[in-house]
Amino acid sequence: MSITDLTSMGESQTQIKKEINDRLKKLQDEISEFCYQCAKCTSGCEAHKLLELEPHKIVALLKRGLIDEMINSEVIWTCMSCFKCRERCPQKVAPVEILFALKNMAVASGKQIPGNYTAMLQSVLSIGLLQDIKSVTTKQNKSYSRSDLGLPDISKPNDPSKFQTMLSKLAVEKV
Amino acid sequence: MKYAFYPGCVMPTEQYAYELSIREVMPKLDIELVSLKGFSCCGEPLKSVNQMLTLSLAARNIAVSEKEGLDIFAPCPMCHLALSEAKRILDSDPNMKDRVNNYLKDEDLIYTGTSDIVHTLDLLHDIIGIEKIKELVKTPLKDITIASHYGCHTIRPKEIGRPDDSENPEKMDRILEAIGGKSKYYPEKLDCCGGLLNANLPESALTKTGQKLKGVQEQGFDCFVDICPWCHRQYDARQAKAGETVATKLEVPVFYLTQLIGMAFGISHDKLGLNLNQSPVEKIINGGK
Repeated sequence: MSITDLTSMGESQTQIKKEINDRLKKLQDEISEFCYQCAKCTSGCEAHKLLELEPHKIVALLKRGLIDEMINSEVIWTCMSCFKCRERCPQKVAPVEILFALKNMAVASGKQIPGNYTAMLQSVLSIGLLQDIKSVTTKQNKSYSRSDLGLPDISKPNDPSKFQTMLSKLAVEKV
Repeated sequence: MKYAFYPGCVMPTEQYAYELSIREVMPKLDIELVSLKGFSCCGEPLKSVNQMLTLSLAARNIAVSEKEGLDIFAPCPMCHLALSEAKRILDSDPNMKDRVNNYLKDEDLIYTGTSDIVHTLDLLHDIIGIEKIKELVKTPLKDITIASHYGCHTIRPKEIGRPDDSENPEKMDRILEAIGGKSKYYPEKLDCCGGLLNANLPESALTKTGQKLKGVQEQGFDCFVDICPWCHRQYDARQAKAGETVATKLEVPVFYLTQLIGMAFGISHDKLGLNLNQSPVEKIINGGK
């Protein structure tokens, strides 16, 4: 079981891609019926001013079926997942969910995963958590670990190999 | 009241002050925290990579608690959202539930949908209640003006059932008043910390953090309080760096809500992990205010 199984464009990804495609298709249908491009999503978008994300344009592009263009663009990775667009849309369209689906599709299509996502995924696969226990240093330059602070042992999967079996099914199961 | 204490990843691996203060404060309010073995990441931070992975991991953690017949206390809003969303999906879609349970059976786990999921804010405000908190206050926070930060996942999306209102959250403010603080509205109240961008755009994440704290500092708040380990890492541990992105020397004391409650209850500073905060909390705790 490796990270490639969960993310790459191997044969096993066909089913995952089909599912994400279905999700995008469903979102596309909803948009076509409801979004009238008022851009309220973009006006409140946390990533708009700083990183030029324009959720209403993502919606418009999906409406036109330009999925490949979007999954090849870095702009889909600027969303901070604050959910304001989903919360505020007067028509209950959820640009943030479109962005999740597009990012999932980019990953399943073998595009390079940006930044630390690969390391985070690798860590979850090996120890079940995003990162291992860190020692922290105070302003007085004293270092403490979990046990120094009297905190109990950390909770993680009891049997890592069984946990990995669970995750590997996600990549290969034909549904 | 008894809950399975679901710590997630960020709190138990580095944000020890949140865990320490929760473990001190909750038992005083008659909440018993049960530590269980076998939890994993909730999946929410990996939603951009694979949403099925998020759903399955979240369901898995609920299943670990259900095995013990316990409701779940998830102090991290990201975890709380992942678990709440998984519950919502699986309780309404039997096919998806079967599919996820098929993944879980190797670890001898099964999602049934019997456990409730609560966050720090639900526990303090709705389950324990303001009156009970007031009763335990020994040294109220006097004359401190506080900027409260709820964090995006605590309040949105409303549809999934969040601990507080999406546009006008005020449960934390009510709690702060109960322990003697003065909570005041500020225009940046609902702004995002940028924390999730750390995965791929860490500089931009810091800019979001810096912009919000700069506003708080300029408006003369005495301190800033949060309830999310992701947000707190940005505002507290990374405050100095965040200041550089907005060309400002930031000196805002940042606390976890549970640390402030603990202080008002007269719990010792070390037990609340106040020595672990990287921001200048001594401005408040050493009687400066």
